[in-house]
Amino acid sequence: MLRYQENNELHRDFHGTTNTTLNYIAEHYGVDALKMILRKTGHDVYKSIREKLAKGDASELIEHLNWFFYRERGKYRLSVSGNEIVFEVLECPAVRHLRKLNLKPSPYMCLQTSELNAGMCEGTPWHSEVKVIGEGHCIQTFRKEADHDPE
Amino acid sequence: MIPSDHFVRFYNEVFKFLDAQNGLPAYYEEIGRHQEQHCLKEFREKGLQGVYDYYVKIRKEENCDLDLILNGHELILKMNKCPSLSKALDNDAGACRKYCLHCPGWTGGIYRKAGLYQVYAVMGLDNPQCCEWIYDDLKQAEAKYLELAAVTPADELFISFPRSAPETMKDSETDLQMP
Repeated sequence: MLRYQENNELHRDFHGTTNTTLNYIAEHYGVDALKMILRKTGHDVYKSIREKLAKGDASELIEHLNWFFYRERGKYRLSVSGNEIVFEVLECPAVRHLRKLNLKPSPYMCLQTSELNAGMCEGTPWHSEVKVIGEGHCIQTFRKEADHDPE
Repeated sequence: MIPSDHFVRFYNEVFKFLDAQNGLPAYYEEIGRHQEQHCLKEFREKGLQGVYDYYVKIRKEENCDLDLILNGHELILKMNKCPSLSKALDNDAGACRKYCLHCPGWTGGIYRKAGLYQVYAVMGLDNPQCCEWIYDDLKQAEAKYLELAAVTPADELFISFPRSAPETMKDSETDLQMP
């Protein structure tokens, strides 16, 4: 079950403000500061996902990925097998909306994803990686260490 | 991707970081510049009606419990339940103590550029309510400010305009109040 239930209207223009903020922090405080904020967001805001991952339960992470990309009409493939979750984003809804607003996607767009995901996995047997294929297209992988099978 | 539903909780973390660096005012200005593309033209061309129309859209998209009252030279935005602060509070990371200040922070500059005058009463971090009065007439805005200043804590009241009639105010009230 999702910690943050979101079922009503969407305000997609927030992607524009996120884009501006990514650039602003990186340009004024450095990329390391941006990474720190994103990692902390993943770690603290998504505490519920993280604590479940620590117990070997990836259910909320899977629901999170599926629900929010579905809600924003993203194009994606989600596959779960054993100790691996592969989430391929074929068309990122954030990038699509930025283009609609005539905004250039921040060079830190994908850093946003990789640091958030890393924050969710921090201190758990799970590790994340993000492989960028092209604009708005990436493969996010979450993999659990083999020697951390559920108790 | 940070879902647009969760932007507020990211914003909240950004505020915590920037507050520690004394960097909030400059960031509000940047956000204000970004937001100009969404609303400045309409505010300039249509005045209070443009602000009203913009917030009708925002009220729907951001799920606000917001009353909009357009009455001659005055527009009142009465936020009965702010979805933004509500999300910041419903958050395992905890809310930034200065969360509410971003609203007067980024909107004030846009109103100045549009020739409008804002008086903004935030009502405390734990209370997702606020009230904003916007005027296209400076004297009415100043009068509203004086009325509110008499009954509102100074750190909860913001205006977007410099005082133009200091003879009608106490000396301590002649500085621009911005977050």
